[in-house]
Amino acid sequence: MVSNDKEKDLQQPQILSIEDDFGIIRQFIEGDKSAFQILVKRHKEKVRNIIYITMNNSALVDDIAQEVFITVYRNLKHFRFESQFTTWLYRITVNRCKDYLRKINVRKIFSPLEEGSEITEFATPVENNDVSKIVTDAISKLPVKLRMPLILKDIEGFSYQEISETLNCEMGTIKSRIFRGREKLKEILQPLERELMQ
Amino acid sequence: MSKKNQIIELLSAYLDGELSQSEKDEVERLLATSLELRKKLEDLKKIMQLTHNVKRIPESPYFETRLMALIEGQKTNTGKIKRWLPASALVLVTIAVMVALKINPDLINHFWEDQKTTLAGFYKENLQPVLFAANLTNEDIFNFAFNNELPLDNSRKQYLLLGYDDSGKEFFEIRTADEKLKRESYSEFISVMNLNEAQKEIVDSIIGSYGKALETQVLVNNKNTIAINPNLWNYRKAIFADLLIAAEKLNIEKFNRIVPAGITNEEKIRVVNAVERLKTSPEDQYIFITPDSVFTDTYEFNSELYEQELKKLEKELKRNEEKLEQFTLSIRFDSSLKHLTLDDQLNHPFIITVDPNICRVDIPELQISEIRIPDIDSISPLIEEATNNIQFYAYKVPKVERSDSGIKFKYFDGDSVHSYELNYSELNIDSIVESKHQFDLYRLDELKSGKPFNDSILSKYQFDKDYYFRYYTDEELQKQMEELQIELQQFGEEMKNWNIEVHEEVTKSLKK
Repeated sequence: MVSNDKEKDLQQPQILSIEDDFGIIRQFIEGDKSAFQILVKRHKEKVRNIIYITMNNSALVDDIAQEVFITVYRNLKHFRFESQFTTWLYRITVNRCKDYLRKINVRKIFSPLEEGSEITEFATPVENNDVSKIVTDAISKLPVKLRMPLILKDIEGFSYQEISETLNCEMGTIKSRIFRGREKLKEILQPLERELMQ
Repeated sequence: MSKKNQIIELLSAYLDGELSQSEKDEVERLLATSLELRKKLEDLKKIMQLTHNVKRIPESPYFETRLMALIEGQKTNTGKIKRWLPASALVLVTIAVMVALKINPDLINHFWEDQKTTLAGFYKENLQPVLFAANLTNEDIFNFAFNNELPLDNSRKQYLLLGYDDSGKEFFEIRTADEKLKRESYSEFISVMNLNEAQKEIVDSIIGSYGKALETQVLVNNKNTIAINPNLWNYRKAIFADLLIAAEKLNIEKFNRIVPAGITNEEKIRVVNAVERLKTSPEDQYIFITPDSVFTDTYEFNSELYEQELKKLEKELKRNEEKLEQFTLSIRFDSSLKHLTLDDQLNHPFIITVDPNICRVDIPELQISEIRIPDIDSISPLIEEATNNIQFYAYKVPKVERSDSGIKFKYFDGDSVHSYELNYSELNIDSIVESKHQFDLYRLDELKSGKPFNDSILSKYQFDKDYYFRYYTDEELQKQMEELQIELQQFGEEMKNWNIEVHEEVTKSLKK
């Protein structure tokens, strides 16, 4: 069992480190199932938030997050300690979100977007001038390949290196997608500039 | 990429602190000389400011508890709690149910005074049926039978949704209008069955006969209590089965599309018995959700007295020329959760989940014999099949069926049913893996085990009724389904390219 003090320490997001995750995973592999619950506690909010912003639908968050952690639970014993646990965790999260988005909009997601061919949907003025909601809605209008890096960078604060590992893409591609995501977001938000400034 | 874009792209990485020293120096040198670049930098900063301030989803303090319960449940499959305890001692969740009755409640209050029982005490006082004020229409009742959803007030701001979880256990949810299903299925049913006006009237009268009985299934009071009669689940099935029997008489040809095997006489007798039982012996067990607990207890409901009072109410309203239009119900849930241990959660008969728009209560296996009506349970598969078929024909929702030997895709187009069948034994796994198609790396094991696509393809094409019906309008749904049909066609073609034998079949459906 993990002692109470240890559990308390590990719940502080500020001091999350690879070593802590590795230690907990080792305990889990050695048979301490309660270690998994600690792992979930440490990472669930970040996972839930990535899902929330990606899907722009709070009703789906916990279902998807549960699937993510169940996948982790089933595969954790094979974890090889070669890369950060979080890289693997967020990759599963991103993939699950993509699965759901694909289910929601089979056609759009499956036809690969040609370079420069993304259709920009402009935001429409809303009565409710909740800036955060307007921005979240606008992010959800971005093509998935621009949306994911932007969310990981601007909302979750990942470094380009971390995003590149999570999304399994070259750094140059990530750099370009973040830039294009921001540009596209600006276009989408353009008609709402007045609301946003209020 | 143009030189200009390259520089602008560097600006974005510059703001993120992701440039090398030489790149940074270069950007700063250019910024000092170009007004346009400085303007661009400002724009990017503004956007980043907006994205940085996006609100995060509220924390879910008991996410891991529910997750662990789910994992445990999947592992043991029998570890569910079967006890049925009055939960008054298990104060786990604070759910504040705020009910505002805006009509004159005094008109029927004195009736409820007589109904008080000392046993249940405080929370059972003044319980009133809430659905009478929702003015249930036939469309509402049909939607309830078909989609499990009932409006709780006549302004249609809150809905009660009944459901079954993966293991077949009942749950209910109180949802806001934002989360309401968009489908109005009654007209679709009439059109799939191709019924004329006179026939529709017959169906109307059958649906209408359930209105009064449904009204007393959900009670609320000013003590923030909501009481739900578990018989609602039975009502839902009974109404649907009753309608199917009528549909068979009205248009046998179209009915055969919905229930290909037909309804046997034995099944009809079961339905009639179940309906009779529901209507004549009301269930007095209710599930009570109060501010401190969720529990089940008996509550006697005098429907005769209730009818009398309703008549009085109607007269009173007429005299004062008031209308029930302004009636709104507002049930809010506030989850201030105590620190739960996993054991507490597992030992509690109900699992309660609250989010800003939805309150969900999972109901354990009920050990109350009255709630299980065998007649109703035995017709469940029939209802399930009919529901799927109505969606198949009305909304052109493709079907993906899995069997031990393979997968079958079916879709309805015009007046024909197209189907593709793939057998696992014919799949050439090596050629699939070598092909350029993407595979879920986390599921490669399934490929090797000889049952490929166990879930990835099924989930790709599986129709998520709840999601589509909830968030898409008719037009959007139709478009989506057409696109899905094209996808399925293409998938059939792709399979052929992978050297897999695909069995195609086109069946003309019965003429309209």
